[in-house]
Amino acid sequence: MKHERPVPAGTRALAPGDLRIEGLEVRAPDGRTILSVDRLRVPAGGTLGIQGPSGAGKSTLLHAIAGLVPAAAGRILWGETDLAALPEAARDAFRRRSLGMIFQDFLLLEELSPLDNAAVSAAWAPRAERPAIRARAAELLARFGAPTTARNVSALSGGERQRIAAARALARNPAAILADEPTASLDRENADRLVADLLAAARDRGRTVIAVSHDAAMMSAMDRVIQVVDGQVRQ
Amino acid sequence: MPEAVSDLWRALPNAAQDLALTLLLLAPAAALAALAMRGQAPWPLARALLVRFRWTNLLFAGLMALSVGLGGALLSQERALRQAAARAAGPFDVIVAAPGDEIRALLSTVYLQPAAALPLLGPEALRAIQADPRVSLAAPVAFGDSHAGAPIVGTTAAFLDRLAGPLAEGRAWARHGEAIAGAHAAMTLGETVAPAHGHGDAAEADAHAGESLRIVGRMSPTGGPWDRAILVPIETLWEMHGLAPGHAPERPEQLGPPFDPDYFPGAPAFVLSGERLADAYAIRARHDGEGTMAFFPGATLARLHAVLGDVREAMSLMAVLTQALAAAGVLAGLVALARLFARRFALLRAMGAPRRFVLGVVWLYAASLLGAGCLAGLALGWASAGLVSAALSARTDMAVAASLGWPEIQLAAAAFSAASLLALAPAVAAYRRAPAEDLRAG
Repeated sequence: MKHERPVPAGTRALAPGDLRIEGLEVRAPDGRTILSVDRLRVPAGGTLGIQGPSGAGKSTLLHAIAGLVPAAAGRILWGETDLAALPEAARDAFRRRSLGMIFQDFLLLEELSPLDNAAVSAAWAPRAERPAIRARAAELLARFGAPTTARNVSALSGGERQRIAAARALARNPAAILADEPTASLDRENADRLVADLLAAARDRGRTVIAVSHDAAMMSAMDRVIQVVDGQVRQ
Repeated sequence: MPEAVSDLWRALPNAAQDLALTLLLLAPAAALAALAMRGQAPWPLARALLVRFRWTNLLFAGLMALSVGLGGALLSQERALRQAAARAAGPFDVIVAAPGDEIRALLSTVYLQPAAALPLLGPEALRAIQADPRVSLAAPVAFGDSHAGAPIVGTTAAFLDRLAGPLAEGRAWARHGEAIAGAHAAMTLGETVAPAHGHGDAAEADAHAGESLRIVGRMSPTGGPWDRAILVPIETLWEMHGLAPGHAPERPEQLGPPFDPDYFPGAPAFVLSGERLADAYAIRARHDGEGTMAFFPGATLARLHAVLGDVREAMSLMAVLTQALAAAGVLAGLVALARLFARRFALLRAMGAPRRFVLGVVWLYAASLLGAGCLAGLALGWASAGLVSAALSARTDMAVAASLGWPEIQLAAAAFSAASLLALAPAVAAYRRAPAEDLRAG
């Protein structure tokens, strides 16, 4: 990609799941700074928990890391790629290739089957890649014990739906998983199961996991936890 | 258009021209579909949107169907009515009447519309017609009486044969007082009916007291107002009105030509035919003079249709406007509906779906809805054509048989293409949304 910086000769290229943030600033439309991160590093395969009070900027940080909101200043380096320097279409392409996302309320497409939900990214993938994505989605659903026979997902339990969402996030084999309150809508048993499945799937392939959560049990399973307060990261 | 293309176009059969025009009208929609689908598979997501608000979507498609169906039905009925009117006038090669209003003579003679009485053509006109060697059939036609709403028309058996061919049942009249029922006249064979003078509420039932007509045969259908009439020898009408019998006293029982000018009481119109087309032109030229007016009913009808052509264009424009209004209403609804889908689209964007994919999903959803509406509208127009035709046939006494043709299909194709262009509005609205904001909105 033309925006990726060349790797200097003699140095080892950083894995795409390696995250470095330097001097990041995100501003509201009125120009006010709503998030400021001086320096943050998550090595490839590492796990990071993000905590903080409501409205402190946790989701904004996660969205900035995903390239969903533009950075006003600083760098968001995934491996060698500076997401902050990329235009929107290139950020989309990066997410497509390297990131998987999980949300609190699952955001499944109610009318589609579990497999169609898990493999939804096949819809915009190149035609040649679509069968592999579907096969991988089916494999992940089986691995997570998610139902595969339901006609659609509307009647499934929260735990089942979140397992499908997790399979969806992993279906394109991303380098990193970004999760926004993934256990908030689940009971303890399902929350523990999801965290275990997610971290196991991450460890298998050396994926980075970054999760915003109020769930102490989930945070305790992370390598490191940071606090976001008033748009500032406290490490 | 370059001449070569123009020549090629003219060389194509009509059906090929219609098909080509239809495909041309669909081309914008096809081009947009190709752009929306290129390199991506938005249909499962578009289908999910269709299923999600199925009743609202059905309502939207129904609105579109109604507008396309109404437009199609309106235009097809107008065309069918014109065709039926032309068909009804077909057997009337040349009409000769007293100088005056061609349209009044046309309405009275061909369509049996009660109008102010036409002045009678007298013996001089008959002599002139009899002296014309090119006339192979000359039928005086007289009207003005009725029975139970059915007009009673006096003419000759030869003209009835020309009008409808062999009788459907019964036999031809053989004497005064016998009558032939039109194909759809509500009389049975052997029934005796009492003629009234005049039509409708103004009919005088007692004016011909003591007179009766016995139905002895039934005509085959003509597809025109004569199907509802009661046909009698013109001599019977003259007799009922106390006029000269049309023939010399020594031939009291003669029915039909030759008529004797010395005993000819007059007739409001003559229908003349020649053997060849050139004869018809010569007949019209010869009898269109000071004492008589001769005209081709088909040509008069064509002039009438030309005047009404503006009305047809106005109807077409109204049909298009109705469809555009329905499409605009539906699309405004879809823009609002697309906002409800905003989080779904934000999710897709968060997963890396390109903006073009979201645009493709929404466009395909809207275009499918409107396309289904257009198709359903054609089906609705086709289904309603029979019902409306039956009602029109009953009101006009003409066999109106409307069916959807290329013009209606092309109208629906144009409506679909226009709607598919408008469908870009909700698609672009979804395309422009910021995913992070919509993700927070949950």
